[in-house]
Amino acid sequence: MKMPDLSYRAALVGACESDLIGYPGGEERTIRCTSLQLHIEAIKNVSAYTGIPISDIDGVFSAGWSSELAEHLGIHPSYIDTTSVGGCSFQIHVRHALAAIASGMIDTALISHGEAGWSYRGMGGRGGGGRGEVSPAEEATAAYGIAGAPAQYAHSMVRHNHVYGTTPEDFAHISVVTRQWAMKNPRALMYSKETNPFGGEITIEDVLNARLIAWPMTLYHCCLVTDHGGAVILARPEIARTLKSKPVWVVGAGESMGHSNMVEMADFTATSAHRSAKMAYEMAGLSPNDIEMAMIYDSFTITAGITAEMLGLAPRGRGYTLWKEGHAAPGGRLPINTNGGGLSFNHSGMYGMQLLVEAYRQMSGTAEDGVNGDPGKQTEASNCIVNGTGGTLSTTGTLILERD
Amino acid sequence: MAYDKPIPRQGQHNKPFWEGAKQGKLVLPHCLDCNKVHWYPRLICPFCHSDRLDWIEVSGEGTLYTFAVQHRLAAGNWAKELPFVTAFIDLKEGDRMQTVLLGVDPNKPEDIKIGSKVKVEFEQANDDTFIPFWRVVES
Repeated sequence: MKMPDLSYRAALVGACESDLIGYPGGEERTIRCTSLQLHIEAIKNVSAYTGIPISDIDGVFSAGWSSELAEHLGIHPSYIDTTSVGGCSFQIHVRHALAAIASGMIDTALISHGEAGWSYRGMGGRGGGGRGEVSPAEEATAAYGIAGAPAQYAHSMVRHNHVYGTTPEDFAHISVVTRQWAMKNPRALMYSKETNPFGGEITIEDVLNARLIAWPMTLYHCCLVTDHGGAVILARPEIARTLKSKPVWVVGAGESMGHSNMVEMADFTATSAHRSAKMAYEMAGLSPNDIEMAMIYDSFTITAGITAEMLGLAPRGRGYTLWKEGHAAPGGRLPINTNGGGLSFNHSGMYGMQLLVEAYRQMSGTAEDGVNGDPGKQTEASNCIVNGTGGTLSTTGTLILERD
Repeated sequence: MAYDKPIPRQGQHNKPFWEGAKQGKLVLPHCLDCNKVHWYPRLICPFCHSDRLDWIEVSGEGTLYTFAVQHRLAAGNWAKELPFVTAFIDLKEGDRMQTVLLGVDPNKPEDIKIGSKVKVEFEQANDDTFIPFWRVVES
C-alpha cells in the first residue's frame, strides 16, 4: 500500500532569514541576539515578502518554541507542532504542515527557527532550551509567588463563581461522581480503602472539608500525582481492518490554544476547547447533542467543568450540572471519565494518554478487559469525545472517536 | 531587612519598565499604530503586529479581575507568607497584570470583591529593581 499522494496540495511561498545572522556583535559579543529576536525578525520578513499578514497564520511549527512564538505574536493557531527531534526537525515540520493542509485543518503554516547559537554559546541558548536568556513573560510574573498548577487554576474557579454564581460545592460534585467511576476500576489509585487510605466513596462534605490547597480549591478538587506509561497506535484503514484488535475511528479532530502564560488568558472561564471542539464537530458532522460519552481532562474540577461547557455538552456556566444531576455518573445518559479520571484514577503530570487509553477501551468494547475493569464500567456509547488540556488552561486538543 | 523573595531577572527589552518603576511610575509598551498598551512586553505588537512601539506612563489604576488564596504552594520565600492572595488586575488602559494583592485579608477571602478598584505601588527589591504590586483601595 503506497502512501497517500499529497503532491500539489500545498506550496512553500516564501523563505527569509532574520536580519542578523552569523556572528552578530563580533567575537566580543558587543551585542547579543536572543533566539526569540531571530525568530521574530525572520517571521516579519517572510510576512512582508509573501504579503501574508501574521494574523492569517493558523499553524505554527518550530522546535520547542511554538507556544511562546504564538503568544508573542498574539495569534491563536489551530495547528501547533513543536516537534523537536534535532536537525531534521524542520523537514518534518514541512511534512506535518503538508498533511495538515491537505486534510483541510489549516490554511497557512508558519515554520520558524531562531537559535542564538553564537550570542549565547555555552550559556544554554534557546534552540530548544533556554537558560541564558530572560523570557519577557517570565520576567513579568516571576515576582508574585505563584508556584504550580493548583496555584494558577484556582483563579479560574474564583472567576467562574463570580460570573456564573457557581460555588466550590457545585464543583465538588465532579470529584464525587468521578470517584464513583474509580470504584469500578481496580487499577485506579482511589479504587478502595485497600488501594489507598483516601480511596473508596467520598461525599460532598469530604471534598469541602479537605485541606485547602489554593482557596477555594481543596485537595479533592485537585488531581493525583502518579506514575503512568501508555501508548496508542493509529493506522490507516487498510491496516486497521486486518488486525485482530478492533478499530476505533477518529471521525473528528481539532487543536487550539488561547495563551501560554495565564496572564494572557482572555477569559478565565473559557478555554480554547470551544475552538478545537468546533473543528472536531465539523469534521465529524456531529453536534454536541450526538455525543454519547466523554473523556475530559480533569486536572482540577474546574478544568472538567469549564471544558464540558466549551465542548457544548452544557450551557456556559453550567458544566458542573452534568455531574451534579448524575448524567455523567455510572448509569447516566452521558458517562464522563469512566476510568476514574485524573482526580481518582491516575494523573502523571500529562494525562492525555490516560484519556486516550480509556476512550479506546470504551469504543472497542474492552473497558472490562480483565485487567482494568470489573462489570459496570463498559458503557453502551457508540461515540466518545476526548478533550485534553495543557499548561494553565492553555492548549487543547479534541478528538471524536467512534465505535466500528 | 533585605528583600528576600524572588526578584525577576531583567531582560534587555524591558529597560523603560524597570527605569520607570524606580521612579514610582508604571511604564508600559504602547503601539504607535493601534494605540493599545500591552503587557508583558513584546518585540511586536500582539494586537496589530506593528513594530512601531514606544513606552508610556499609565495611570497605575485598575480593577480586580480574579484572585485566589495560596495555602500550600509558593515560589521561594513567599512560602513564609502563606496564606497570601494572588490576583490578576485589569488595567484602566487595557490588558492585564499579575500581582500579589495587598490590602486584603487572606483569611477572609469572601470579603475580597472582584471588580474592586486597585492601585499600583512599588517595593524596592534591590538597587535596580522596584517591583510593582497592586493594592485594593476601594471595594
